[in-house]
Amino acid sequence: MTPTCQSGVDLLMDYLEGALAPDVRAAVERHVAGCERCVAFVESYRKTPGILRRATAATMPSDLAQELRELIRAELRKSGEG
Amino acid sequence: MAPGESGDSDDALAARAVAGDTSAFEALVTRYQSRAFRLAWRLTGSEHDAADVLQESFLQAYRHLSSFRCEARFGTWLYRIVTNAALMQRRARDRRPTESLDAFLPAFDEAGTHRATPEALLLTSRVEELIDRKSLADKARAAVGRLPDACRAAFVLRDLEDLPTGEVADVLGIEPAAVRQRVHRARLLLRGYLNALAKGSA
Repeated sequence: MTPTCQSGVDLLMDYLEGALAPDVRAAVERHVAGCERCVAFVESYRKTPGILRRATAATMPSDLAQELRELIRAELRKSGEG
Repeated sequence: MAPGESGDSDDALAARAVAGDTSAFEALVTRYQSRAFRLAWRLTGSEHDAADVLQESFLQAYRHLSSFRCEARFGTWLYRIVTNAALMQRRARDRRPTESLDAFLPAFDEAGTHRATPEALLLTSRVEELIDRKSLADKARAAVGRLPDACRAAFVLRDLEDLPTGEVADVLGIEPAAVRQRVHRARLLLRGYLNALAKGSA
């Protein structure tokens, strides 16, 4: 295998999850180590999940917890009677 | 420990709930409601829809408790119910095709080299400092909603809810390799989108 930026990108997730065969892993590492573009790309790829996690942070509204509890209690009562 | 919480394991509570102990089921609801809400919210992109999905999911879970016995973990089983309900909800609500993010995939020349410069490729990282601005966060969140359903579900479970790949595979009923493929595509699309956002062109 002759690694390029493109083939490295294709394998990046498997690389980060440790799912590559050792020889393929070593070839990807050799390419990335000598490629400024890939170093930059990998950094931005790794940061992407955290950025989206922050952008989509949410807390359950407290009135919803109350509504849910009442709904479940009603369902439990219904099935208890049935 | 908060009121309504129990120190029992999920398995112990689920076994008691299956046997008809309603307080055990309520304890499971209390334990999982925040996580289930957040998952539903991230999958639907709407607080209103997430509330509907949450209620529907716990009712379904209760009604189908007897089928839980053969499942590995209560959380995995519940995430599957929430994920399916959220995808159904979105399909029912939004019939318009979403605008594809494919234009944000990385571009390569004939030799397979990144077309963008290292500086341009790094721009995505700059969004990290800016993402707490509401306008940017709203756009980034909307971009998650533009992912294809299969990619979005895998990405939300793996990267936003931080479940291990193997558990995401169990939730979605697919192989871990397929999870990695879908999450990877989602990361590529969103990385590119954030990059355009940093440039001011998205």
